[in-house]
Amino acid sequence: MDQRRSDDRSVREPIRSPWVWVVMSLIILAGIPLYLPSGVVEPLVFGVPYWVVLSVCCTLALSAFTSWLCLRKWNLVEQQEEAAADVTDGGSTWKI
Amino acid sequence: MENLNFGGTSGIIVLLAYAAIMLIIGYFAGRGQPNVRTSVRGYFLAGRGLGFVALFFTLYATQYSGNSVIGYAPEAYRSGFVWWQSVMFMIAVIAVYLLFAPRLYVIAKRESFVTPTDWVRHRFRSTRVSILVAILMLWGLANYLLEQLVAMGQGISGLTGNTVPYQIGVIAFVLVMLAYSWMGGMRAVALTDVMQGIALLIGVGVLLFGSLYLIEGDIAGLTQHVVNQSPEKVGVPDGETSVNWLAMIVLIGFGAAVYPHAIQRVYAAKSERTLKRSLAIMAWMPFVTTGVVFLVGIIGLELFPGLSETDSEQLVGMMANKVAGINVVFYLLMILLFGGVIAAIVSTADSALLSLSSVVSHDLYGRYINPRASERQQVLVGKLVGIAVVAVLLLLAWNPPTTLYNIFVLKFELIVQIAPAFILGLYWDRLRAGPLFWGMLAGALFAGVWTVMGEEELYGVPGGLLGLGINVAIAVLGSLLTPRDEGDGDAAVPTTAETTATG
Repeated sequence: MDQRRSDDRSVREPIRSPWVWVVMSLIILAGIPLYLPSGVVEPLVFGVPYWVVLSVCCTLALSAFTSWLCLRKWNLVEQQEEAAADVTDGGSTWKI
Repeated sequence: MENLNFGGTSGIIVLLAYAAIMLIIGYFAGRGQPNVRTSVRGYFLAGRGLGFVALFFTLYATQYSGNSVIGYAPEAYRSGFVWWQSVMFMIAVIAVYLLFAPRLYVIAKRESFVTPTDWVRHRFRSTRVSILVAILMLWGLANYLLEQLVAMGQGISGLTGNTVPYQIGVIAFVLVMLAYSWMGGMRAVALTDVMQGIALLIGVGVLLFGSLYLIEGDIAGLTQHVVNQSPEKVGVPDGETSVNWLAMIVLIGFGAAVYPHAIQRVYAAKSERTLKRSLAIMAWMPFVTTGVVFLVGIIGLELFPGLSETDSEQLVGMMANKVAGINVVFYLLMILLFGGVIAAIVSTADSALLSLSSVVSHDLYGRYINPRASERQQVLVGKLVGIAVVAVLLLLAWNPPTTLYNIFVLKFELIVQIAPAFILGLYWDRLRAGPLFWGMLAGALFAGVWTVMGEEELYGVPGGLLGLGINVAIAVLGSLLTPRDEGDGDAAVPTTAETTATG
């Protein structure tokens, strides 16, 4: 039973965490200069308009967050597959 | 693409070398798979055995086509800094994968899916929904393939200084593509993608390096130059442009993620670990691909000010010529660039062609035309259909209909309409086949008519996205209004319980 509970906890899928999509939406919206006065160029940051730097930073955050979700928030059958792969004659569904 | 005065013989040698490598890879990929001629999973999905390197590069080389270089640089030139959106919408594609790929991978492996339509059939048990999804996918794939063929011909004739004419170039590389696909199926496509993906990365890298060399690395001076010449390309975009930016993120994010060849790469992954590691790195690739191309387009504003829309389409060729003129090292590097562009085009075209073949042979021929066909027959029909489709598209490719970017948008208008069948279908048990069918049909018709009529975007929102809104509204409201125990004859298969039970 304890083992089963532990397995249930290890099952992770991004769709099951609403906060994930709220954060992602906020990052995307922050990266689009909808909320800034149009036509403005300055101040320049590193020789580039500030709004572009802001958008680049949000894009970096979007990549980092997406990559993190792939690695840390996605785990449905990995353990089963690895266990099955270790068993050479197990005949498991997930054997690959 | 502008003819390159440095191309000529060097270009032909590079192309011949690429062709030879691709054929060799295809030959050995076929030899390594005894079931490649007798199993649809063996041929179309590489026996579900793509490891990390092959899966990552096939995802990469498939998602980034030649258009990502030769079409996006001119777009950055014309739009200015707002084209940074190309980096965001390419990341959005990976984010949308996260909405369905984890669960779809598990179900696809358990149910032995071959095509995306297999999921639709499994979930909705509806012939009309399956056929509509297949038609929309075929439309998108054919258009996508056509775009690659047009770009291939332009790239090859440009690289060789028209020594190899447009038509001959397309036919030669199409034959190479068909040959290695015939020999090794998905495994050959994925392994050639490794070589092609590396060539693309090197290509865009050297183009950026050469372009920065020409402006002496002076980014601040570049900005100032653009401010003086075209201030509208530097300032904060107006509201409508920003809305369009957001709309493109949604449209391309959802549209590219549900492309049939994209979904089949989810099916073909060797393991969940392989898939998620590949996608985790893919989330960073826009920076070194569309991000680099964006910068090249902006640098073009300083190097080639005042180009018309038509002339700007030649921007990459013009910049390559200028970079090649620096010295012999850059000359050689620019040869690599165009080899990379050609490789990127071929790698995208082969994936789209293989996917298209699988839909026709597995979903239409094997399901409706000859249900008793063996897998060997289905594989053979798939190969022959691929050749026939390419022959028809080649005839269209001789007369490219419009600029590359416009073709690109047209594809997404319809393909994105199948997204609810996957994303809503995976998680919402109440989604019914009837409302889904009418939603997809209405969305596709609206988007198609809107585009054909040449209607403007509605405050920055393209017709495809408006169609998707109509599509989702009909599918959701229709499903909610259908009593749970009174299906429309197309009873949906519960999904939530069965998929969570896998954990």
